[in-house]
Amino acid sequence: MSGRLSMVLATLLACSALSLVNAQYQARRLFIEIERAQAVTRQLEIEWSQLQLDQSTLGKHARIEANARRDLNMVPLTPARTQYITGEAR
Amino acid sequence: MAAVPRPNPRRATARGLPFSASPLLDVKLPAWRSRLVLFVMFAAFLALAGRALWLQALSTDFLQKQGAARYARTLELPATRGKITDRNGEVLASSVPVKAVWAIPDDVLEAPPEKLRALSALLEMPEAELRKKLDSDRNFVYLKRQVEQETVDKIMKLQIAGIETRKEYKRFYPQADVTSHVVGFTNVEDAGQDGMELGMQKTLAGVTGSRRVIKDRLGRIVEDIAAVREPHDGRDLVLSLDSKIQYIAFTHLKEAVDRFKAKAGGVVVVDIKTGEVLALANLPTYNPNNRAILTGAMLRNRVITDTFEPGSTLKPFSIALALDTKRVTPNTIVQTSPGRLTIGTATIGDSHAHGPLTVSQIIQKSSNIGTAKIALQMQPQEMWEMFTTIGFGQQPKFGFPGAVAGRVRPYKSWRPIEQATMSYGHGISVSLLQLAHAYTIFARDGDLIPLSFQKLTAPPVGQRVITEKTAREMRAMLETATGPEGTAPKAQVPGYRVAGKTGTAYKIAGGRYVSKYVSSFVGFAPASDPRIIIAVMVDEPSGAHYGGEVAAPVFSAIAGSALRAMNVGPDSTVTSIIVPATVPQESM
Repeated sequence: MSGRLSMVLATLLACSALSLVNAQYQARRLFIEIERAQAVTRQLEIEWSQLQLDQSTLGKHARIEANARRDLNMVPLTPARTQYITGEAR
Repeated sequence: MAAVPRPNPRRATARGLPFSASPLLDVKLPAWRSRLVLFVMFAAFLALAGRALWLQALSTDFLQKQGAARYARTLELPATRGKITDRNGEVLASSVPVKAVWAIPDDVLEAPPEKLRALSALLEMPEAELRKKLDSDRNFVYLKRQVEQETVDKIMKLQIAGIETRKEYKRFYPQADVTSHVVGFTNVEDAGQDGMELGMQKTLAGVTGSRRVIKDRLGRIVEDIAAVREPHDGRDLVLSLDSKIQYIAFTHLKEAVDRFKAKAGGVVVVDIKTGEVLALANLPTYNPNNRAILTGAMLRNRVITDTFEPGSTLKPFSIALALDTKRVTPNTIVQTSPGRLTIGTATIGDSHAHGPLTVSQIIQKSSNIGTAKIALQMQPQEMWEMFTTIGFGQQPKFGFPGAVAGRVRPYKSWRPIEQATMSYGHGISVSLLQLAHAYTIFARDGDLIPLSFQKLTAPPVGQRVITEKTAREMRAMLETATGPEGTAPKAQVPGYRVAGKTGTAYKIAGGRYVSKYVSSFVGFAPASDPRIIIAVMVDEPSGAHYGGEVAAPVFSAIAGSALRAMNVGPDSTVTSIIVPATVPQESM
């Protein structure tokens, strides 16, 4: 009887040990994955601020004005040529 | 049948004797020999136990450290400096990761010469200079800092032993020289040096964190072994600037400074409803992205850190005080003939004799004598209190580094001639921003609100300085100054009614007035319901020097474009401005 009990316990112990190994392995794998995801986040954040910078550089008013004048032959508006539309008072 | 013992191959003896019958067992050995063996074994165990005790208990710290050194790493977690944006979210300053390239000189010098030549080309550095840097006893020499990632990749491809990189940040300013004086710049260590970068250094700067981890054979992080000290990125800063209005102000100021070959110029645009600074530009300026050639003159923020004698732009405050204390009304007649007035031993004068003028006309024509006569009816203390309340001579609380207080001398030492000249802006010094700030009392029905360089969520509470009636009367007077009869018809804006005051002052050099001028104009628009105050200052213009000639047109150009940009409807049907052939010259 006691022989069988110790057999069962020994099997359980072995299973537990194996599952511990597995759990640790899974934990490390997930950890590496989250690390990688965080690195991607950082990279994307950097890219985003780079793009924001580009947007600001390309949207510089000096550049827009130069392009409008040179390439599109635009001129600044004057009130004499402006039709003002005022909304009805509510 | 007798049992014949089978021969056992494992039998100890060759003679077929069983072990128990071995005669050797009968040999009597001395007892000390077995005791010796016992003792030696015991001693061996003792030694093992001692060793175990030594390893486990006494030198654990050292051993654990040695172990950790083989798998644990401390990583620095960098924090990014906060962005600076304008009120509409347009980026004015942002940090981008770059690399610092450093070297271990002895290792690098062993590299073949052609590789060093390639390196010096990539670093944009003459080879001689590179070699000079490498000629060092130290183990760590910065070759170049803030190198962009692309270049770093090329450098690493050369595979020179002893070349290493370190991560750092570089600040970029997309609007370059247009916003440089407000935004400021940072140094190579990413610390603010000027402008809002310096003023808000504490909130902009991030706090670097760190974490201790276990790395596996492949260099991957597998586990944290201590609590992570989280990095905190710097907070983003939203300025009150509107980059569109900033650009408008900058270009028109530049036009005027170029046209009059002026030494310098400054302009500030303030939102009257909230006290936010919408634009602030200075010339000469600099490009914060490339500070190789940087002079003191370029760096100076003339609007905030320079003071000047404001001249006639101060007259409205003296007159407003007289109106407020009911000493005069806008229609009170003051005799300004014959255009000179002697107080004590000194004589002041107008540019030409105007004869009898109403108080309103004194502002319109900018008469020194009229202003002085009204001012002399008042107590020095009253005037001093007025100037002090609106911020002159007081340390400003603009939240901007280096803002100056200007100078208003204590009223007890005022002589009558000084009181008279101070009433029209001489013998007193203010900054252009202080002047713009003070004009909020006229533009806002009599109360003064604090200025802000950061975008506000709620309008601030004002502090009443003059009555609403006085403010309205003064607005009407200031509007006539920009009329055809006034000193600044060139300040008129098609489509909008404007109000403002010109100022022209001699500069002081070596304690004496010299024939160099500061032309200024402070005004607001639209006059019917003021939205913005614009203050313009041009330093040492040549060709013309009156505020009405030099500064007023800048005001006009900025006001027209800025109001349209802000979507303010026109309050006047006039579409073309009439400038009379002869503009009355203001007095200095």
